[in-house]
Amino acid sequence: MNILYFEFLKLRKKSRGWLGPILVFILIMTAFPLTVEFLNEDLEQAFFSILWIAVLLVMMLATEDIFLEDFNDGSLEQLVIHTESLSFVIGVKILIYWALIGIPVSVIGSIYCLGITSSYEMALLIFPVLLISSYIFLNLFCFGNSLTLTKGSVLGTLITMPLLLPLLVVLGKVVIAINLGLNYFDFLILLLGVLSIIIVTIPLIISFVIRAHLE
Amino acid sequence: MTMTYLIQAENLSYKINEKKLFQNISFEVNANSALHITGSNGSGKTTLLRIILGISKPTRGSIETNLTSDMCYLGHKNALKQYLTVEDNLILQSIQHNKPLDTLLKDIDLYDKLDVVVSNLSFGQQKKIALLKVFLNESELLVLDEPCVGLDGKAQTFLTSFLQEELGKNKSIIFSSHINLNIDAKSINLDN
Repeated sequence: MNILYFEFLKLRKKSRGWLGPILVFILIMTAFPLTVEFLNEDLEQAFFSILWIAVLLVMMLATEDIFLEDFNDGSLEQLVIHTESLSFVIGVKILIYWALIGIPVSVIGSIYCLGITSSYEMALLIFPVLLISSYIFLNLFCFGNSLTLTKGSVLGTLITMPLLLPLLVVLGKVVIAINLGLNYFDFLILLLGVLSIIIVTIPLIISFVIRAHLE
Repeated sequence: MTMTYLIQAENLSYKINEKKLFQNISFEVNANSALHITGSNGSGKTTLLRIILGISKPTRGSIETNLTSDMCYLGHKNALKQYLTVEDNLILQSIQHNKPLDTLLKDIDLYDKLDVVVSNLSFGQQKKIALLKVFLNESELLVLDEPCVGLDGKAQTFLTSFLQEELGKNKSIIFSSHINLNIDAKSINLDN
């Protein structure tokens, strides 16, 4: 419980770490209508593509130095030598990032969705997809950043990108499914299935990668 | 009666890029005992401590541990969050030590610093906070890498008396230091 509170405190006190990505998300979602014709149909057409890319970018920004600070100040060494599972702590860390960044971004994304599509149903259906996809993005970017812990986040992002592309394809299909009223829950279960695998395996893999870095 | 060891190392060697850092180092650390690792800069003191902690692996040799609890480690990096207060940085420490936190803070001249953000403290004060985590720890083995760096005379004296006291409580200590800490300890020199 202490580790959960400590990780929460760490992120909360670093407003740059959580507020920055949320503001970037708001900026993208507010600015994109200015660059296209002010016809609602045009906005709707581009909206979901912009939404998914914005979520992806924000999660990338949020996880940029997720392990670097702990590596530089010696906290990771302390975590490795204690019997409390490193993968558990990493899982907690990702969960806190999701709670402070992923959930607000999902709520704001749904509000924008309501504003653009004027459909409560669409906004309600998009919300769980946003929640799940932001958590998956966070996990994958954390994995990429752990691989290149001391080499900068750009390389980590490049490594992660191929893993994210199939998810973007699925997210595009979810919007089509909602519009056509088909298979929405099938896609949701698929995304939940992916998340349930990732939520267990990624922290475990990251813990091995971090141990290798420290060695 | 055979004494059970906490740490037993046999013929430890470590190479970095084909350069031998140290070789054939053997030692045993039992309960209530201390081990002082000495050596010149770059002789591998920190690396040896990291091998003991299980963070690094030796190139050759073996190390066995017989511990019932986690080790407590203070390295060159203090593991302090610069943007958090001293109190926040101590959240993960279980405050169950015989000595209350207030007394310990007084002993190291940090009584009024609990609410201060760590980045506003001097290097020496930050080192004291890192040591405070050691003081509050209940591990049976303390591993300290250059614990005296940045400490004033009073804090060094307190650290020495604390470690001597811990040795009497069935605890063991492994430390590297260029300064002689005046505690009863076996010594190994990595330059030899």
